[in-house]
Amino acid sequence: MFYWSLIIISLGIYSAYIFGKSRITSHSRQLEIKTASLPTYYAQYIMVWCLLPALIVYFGWIIFEDQIIQNLVLANFDFDLNPALNASLLIAEIKNVALSDSFAEGKATEILNAAEHYASIKYVSSISFYLSILIVMILGVMFASRKLQPSFRAQQSIENYVKYFLFFCSSVAVLTTVGIVFSLLFESLRFFSDVSVFEFLFGTKWYPYIPIREGQSGSQGSFGAVPIFAGTFLIMIVAMCVATPIGLFTAIYLAEYASPRVRRIIKPLLEILAGVPTIVYGFFAFVTVAPFVKTFGQSIGIDASPTSALAAGLVMGIMIIPFISSLSDDVINSVPQSLREGSLGIGANKAETIKRVILPAALPGIVGAFLLGVSRAIGETMIVVVAAGTAPNLTANPFENVTTVTVQIVIALIGDQEFDDPRTLSAFALGLVLFVITLILNIFALRIVKKYRERYE
Amino acid sequence: MSNQFSHEKIIQLRKKRSAADRRFKTYGLIATVIGMAILFFLLFTIFSKGYSSFQKTVIELDVTFDQETLKITPNATYEEQVEAKFFKVKKKAIANALPDLSKKDIKLMKKMFSINVDKEIKEYFLQNPNILNTTQKLLVTAHSDVDQMLKGNAKRNIEEKKRKLNDRQLEFFDEFVFTGRLKSKFNNFFFTNADSRHPELAGIAGSFVGSLFTLITVFLLAFPIGIGASIYLEEFAPKNKFTELIEVNIANLAAVPSIVFGLLGLGILLNVFGFPRSTPLVGGTVLALMTLPTIIIACRASLKAVPPSIKEGALAMGASKMQAVFHHQVPLALPGTLTGTIIGLAQALGETAPLIMIGMIAFIPNIPTGFTEPSAALPVQIYLWVESAERGFQEKTAAAIMMILIFLFLMNAIAVFLRSRFERKW
Amino acid sequence: MNNVKVSTKNVNVHYGTKQALHRVTLDINEKEVTALIGPSGCGKSTFLRCINRMNDLIDICKVDGSITVDNEEIISDEVDVVSLRSKIGMVFQKPNPFPKSIFDNVAYGPTIHGIVETKTDLEEIVHLSLKRSGLFKEVKDRLHEPGTSLSGGQQQRLCIARAIAVNPDIILMDEPCSALDPIATATIEELIDELKNKYTIVIVTHSMQQAARVSQRTGFFHLGELVETGETQKIFTNPENEKTQGYITGRFG
Repeated sequence: MFYWSLIIISLGIYSAYIFGKSRITSHSRQLEIKTASLPTYYAQYIMVWCLLPALIVYFGWIIFEDQIIQNLVLANFDFDLNPALNASLLIAEIKNVALSDSFAEGKATEILNAAEHYASIKYVSSISFYLSILIVMILGVMFASRKLQPSFRAQQSIENYVKYFLFFCSSVAVLTTVGIVFSLLFESLRFFSDVSVFEFLFGTKWYPYIPIREGQSGSQGSFGAVPIFAGTFLIMIVAMCVATPIGLFTAIYLAEYASPRVRRIIKPLLEILAGVPTIVYGFFAFVTVAPFVKTFGQSIGIDASPTSALAAGLVMGIMIIPFISSLSDDVINSVPQSLREGSLGIGANKAETIKRVILPAALPGIVGAFLLGVSRAIGETMIVVVAAGTAPNLTANPFENVTTVTVQIVIALIGDQEFDDPRTLSAFALGLVLFVITLILNIFALRIVKKYRERYE
Repeated sequence: MSNQFSHEKIIQLRKKRSAADRRFKTYGLIATVIGMAILFFLLFTIFSKGYSSFQKTVIELDVTFDQETLKITPNATYEEQVEAKFFKVKKKAIANALPDLSKKDIKLMKKMFSINVDKEIKEYFLQNPNILNTTQKLLVTAHSDVDQMLKGNAKRNIEEKKRKLNDRQLEFFDEFVFTGRLKSKFNNFFFTNADSRHPELAGIAGSFVGSLFTLITVFLLAFPIGIGASIYLEEFAPKNKFTELIEVNIANLAAVPSIVFGLLGLGILLNVFGFPRSTPLVGGTVLALMTLPTIIIACRASLKAVPPSIKEGALAMGASKMQAVFHHQVPLALPGTLTGTIIGLAQALGETAPLIMIGMIAFIPNIPTGFTEPSAALPVQIYLWVESAERGFQEKTAAAIMMILIFLFLMNAIAVFLRSRFERKW
Repeated sequence: MNNVKVSTKNVNVHYGTKQALHRVTLDINEKEVTALIGPSGCGKSTFLRCINRMNDLIDICKVDGSITVDNEEIISDEVDVVSLRSKIGMVFQKPNPFPKSIFDNVAYGPTIHGIVETKTDLEEIVHLSLKRSGLFKEVKDRLHEPGTSLSGGQQQRLCIARAIAVNPDIILMDEPCSALDPIATATIEELIDELKNKYTIVIVTHSMQQAARVSQRTGFFHLGELVETGETQKIFTNPENEKTQGYITGRFG
């Protein structure tokens, strides 16, 4: 269907283009008036009016076709089944039977009839699909060709259309945010109709299993997310303890001490470190760091879990090093040279200049970098999914097993998703918390960095 | 208070100060060295664990292609040959792999071969049909447990229960090694197969193609939208609240955790718009939205770098603003925008979490052929293999990581090349 | 006496709250060279950019008053800026050829305005324009090399060729020689002298000598006001205003 539509629409707009061009040239020759714009623009104008309706029909059709056909099929046959439970399975079966005879063996006559019905509707539907695309294309061209007068400023209209398109492109960013907020809020509200906000935010027991059978006693699911938040926080603290000193000192070394040659070598290497996919860090944590932490724990007499917060946090810290160092490097470099010279000029040595003058001057920028690092640590997923645990322990011991917000989101959504089950929906509530916290951190950090930049520009 | 005393004090203080200076510099150096050391250790870990995956273990097997077992005649058609009973040939060959095997031994022996040995035998036969009624020495793929034992990844000096190969199988193994029938060969399956439950058969072809389709989707969506948005913001946007909102939005979207984009894909694209689950189409759309800020920021920078005199020249010729932008500014900014897009694509290639959310984590044993077919992606494949308990998958994981790092490196190299080759300095 | 081609009345220009031009009233005659002189920042370039509405590009710039070209008002939202600019060519301070071939540089205008229909027509126009700008002999063998490979003076003549390729009535020149060496400047000045037979030329210049050499009429701007205007000879020998006198004799500026 995709390829056929592509061919039909391309042919359609091509002929519309040719039609528009020849029409306007003959028109202007007849009337002996010069056209207000080049003939190409009239042709493009016709083309746009041919393409747009076709696209609207195409996308409308592929979005709604399935739903409508399913309803038609199910409405015609009176299946004696619990519709809510089995409608989708039933449809899948009918489709399979309709598509290939090999599925038909041993199926109930009801299903076979429905499948036949489905196939016929589908056939009619595909015919009318191509027909309606053709018709709207012709209508579009007819509508637009009324404007094919030499006095019509086709170029301006085309440019306006292009401008609308450009505007739409830049609104995609806003639409994305709206989409994120909408999807998170919508599903979270459904979650909070089952679980109270208070329990979610302040409860200390995370046991996201709702009993399958009604009245199963003693195993009521419980959605207190405090252990998850605490675990996220613990791993983030470990990560920042690694990333901040190493990242900051690397930045200081690169910006103030290193020779240009060393910089030229180290910077790309740091970029490589920054470009390594996080799943790779996860693997590294899993095969190297976690066993090391376990052995290390044993050597000092602590029984470390194989998926300890320490291992995940260490590796996450490594991931954030290049992030902190490159942001801090920028910040330190943008401290005006005059400040450096002023301090060195009164006999302070380099370390004193850095500690007393440069770092205080660069502090807001560094704080911004730190906050962005925190936001990354909280939102990071793959490292913790691979290297951190799944058990919601409320502990401050980094050798123990803790879980994070992102891990719980992944757990809730891997496998069967039931969008009326709080277990699945809890992912969206956790996602909402994650989004809000990282958003606040980002806005705060970006504002600090921006203010800092303005000060030295 | 003598002058002498204070002078000495100053000298002492100066010594202390310069010691502190050196110390501080050393801290910086240490931090940098730690960073570099970690990078090399990381790469070393991956390469040392992964390189062995490019070799696989094969066992030399005497296969007898007699027509009774195969149930075909010497002048059988191709279709008949395809339908021939190769599994029986395999069974016989395995039973005679070593002399005097008991029934129990044969069962154990069978587990030392890949389950697809009959297919390998069949392929060999279809290529050389004239070998009917002869016995051939074939190199067939060994089971992952044998492979790991030969590569030394599995320990043999441990309790029998903890081993994948039991004592009897180890005897077979030693016999094979002793008679030189255990060999190493280039692991073609790793590059031509999709995922499999059996490590010796699992490959990255499926996930590679899935990633390719996903990246094409990302490119087709993010490149035009990114350029369009950049042009609008740089050239046409009026200074008002909405423009400001767009700008703030782009800056913030760049820092939203990727998993949240996954939730967007699940909540909106799958549940509201009914996109097909687990497909490169959805994966690509989500990743396109995610990389859009990166691309827009790069595009705007390169549009800004085009000197305004070029645009002015065009405008003074009577070009409309749109013409001035599209005829002159955009072509000149193109190398820069492409560079930014490639960097965005590299970011998208390594991204895992959003793809898990939209179901690209399903086990897909075949190579996808289209944008709307369920498929895996390289990083998700890595995740799946990391999580799987079988030892044989660990080297696969590392090897797949090597491949993804190589792709990332290539993409960045292309970006750097484009930047240095085509970007003008004004 | 020639016909008036461009006529301005009480033109004010504001950049934000700052007023850059105060009530400028000036007539520019057809097929003559009019020079605008004055110290830096006096508003002469701003005035020049009003004539082809290039000031529209600056958001905070506001123009009021009246400017007519061929007795048609151009300070109005209804005016089609694109067709106005196709009638008025402009040459900039720094040569700004497009980073395309020499041929494409000159062909750009005729192509976007649809002046020509066939390729041969286009070639003809390009050759003619290059000949008129005195560049053809130098570049005829390398029309497909990038325009940026030419020397500064050649680039500026290329920009002039580009401007006359759309067959304008008026050519605005904004200090066209300020980035060039004396020899290239002399070539351009000769060219201007020749072009005035066909086009109305307005030139903003820093150099009084240049104004004296190429122009028939001169306007002197100071602090956003048109202080004095008249025949070039008269302005330079016998100015009425003492500010003009001061500038001409080099007391300030």
